[in-house]
Amino acid sequence: MTPNDSGGPAVELIGVSKQYDRATVLDNLTLTIPRGTTLGLIGPNGAGKSTTIKILMGMLAPTAGQVRVLGIDVARDPASMKRRVGYVPERHDIYPWMTVGEVIDFTRAFYETWDESFSCDMLGVFELDRRKKVKQLSKGMLVKLGLLLAVSHHPELLILDEPTTGLDPIVHEEFLDGVLRTICQSPCTVLFSSHNLGDIRRLADSVCILRNGKIIVKRGLDDLLASTKRVRAVLADGHLPRWEPEGTLWQQVQRREWLLTIDGFSADIAERIKAENAVESVEVFDLSLAEMFRDYIKGE
Amino acid sequence: MTPRIQPDNHVPVYLQIVEHVRSAIAAGVYRPGEALPSLRVLATDLKVNPNTVQRAYDELDRQGLIESRRGVGIFVAKRGARSARGRAEESIHAAFAQAIGSAHAAGLSSDQIRELFDDSLEEVLAESGGRA
Repeated sequence: MTPNDSGGPAVELIGVSKQYDRATVLDNLTLTIPRGTTLGLIGPNGAGKSTTIKILMGMLAPTAGQVRVLGIDVARDPASMKRRVGYVPERHDIYPWMTVGEVIDFTRAFYETWDESFSCDMLGVFELDRRKKVKQLSKGMLVKLGLLLAVSHHPELLILDEPTTGLDPIVHEEFLDGVLRTICQSPCTVLFSSHNLGDIRRLADSVCILRNGKIIVKRGLDDLLASTKRVRAVLADGHLPRWEPEGTLWQQVQRREWLLTIDGFSADIAERIKAENAVESVEVFDLSLAEMFRDYIKGE
Repeated sequence: MTPRIQPDNHVPVYLQIVEHVRSAIAAGVYRPGEALPSLRVLATDLKVNPNTVQRAYDELDRQGLIESRRGVGIFVAKRGARSARGRAEESIHAAFAQAIGSAHAAGLSSDQIRELFDDSLEEVLAESGGRA
């Protein structure tokens, strides 16, 4: 860590857009990740998660906007940024003809901060065999090797692109274990994209929901869960909703049942729904992250 | 400690950890003055972010159940076991309050709610072989 940038955020995207031909893949994204925190990036397929990550890694140039990673302008100095970042891509690109040991030795040469004893620990935890050829590894073994290669130099920022998709439950748990050992070993900021909302709950301090290249929510996870509620109101016969609260993400009327998902919910809102509408009763329910995610995506 | 984090549950994960540690203290798994698992151990055990475990330990510290001694470790407070049992009553009280709230919203009277409570109590005690 160099002293002049250690106080700033780990990741800063300012007004980042990406266009392919005429299609807008990212639309004016502004996102900050404070150091030492973990951000979960969620969104439907094609929302722009992988594009965002590739831009952060300097693998794609944005059409507009600024990208700073660990205080470094990615457009100017991608090499010095990469020495301090660990990256597990969605699809691995490890040389298939090398053995596990050769790949580790080859990768070590790129990093001054490589920690051989940590690397050996991870090799043991992941039950990887140094003598095995990469092309003979199962999907789970490959993903674990990818993580080992990404974390053995103690990155200040770890970026994981849908890391646990398609893993069996045992490998999945080993992978989480590897990520947590890394975070516990030395302070590390983590950005990971995932469709696994259980992983998001376990690992993320805050979440960012992307849809059609735009950020629709970026919030502390517990705050999001506490402030978003489902309300069920039973409408009086022959009446439709008249007043809809601010922060309604999604709603549906079926017979007498009026369901609403409300962001920024408070007891006052429930009282006003009662006062302003012809309803018989109003009940409030907690939502799981999966239900909330669905309502954010459907509602926009 | 047995890993008991339910990522699908709407209860914040840090509060799930608080409850998990509190129940272990209340049950006597960890006695007053004894050390609790470090952040690192509990985070990898429960498969949760160490920041979240820190938040849980901060909360337990605030509640007076544990004491963290800088650079030494985290210990069950002298009165930790008693407060942990007190907290158990508190969380059951909260669960009752919630159930009574829904009963009220459903239009039940206080007498009907009491009757339901007595029925439930009898049922549970009969199942567990206890006596009312």
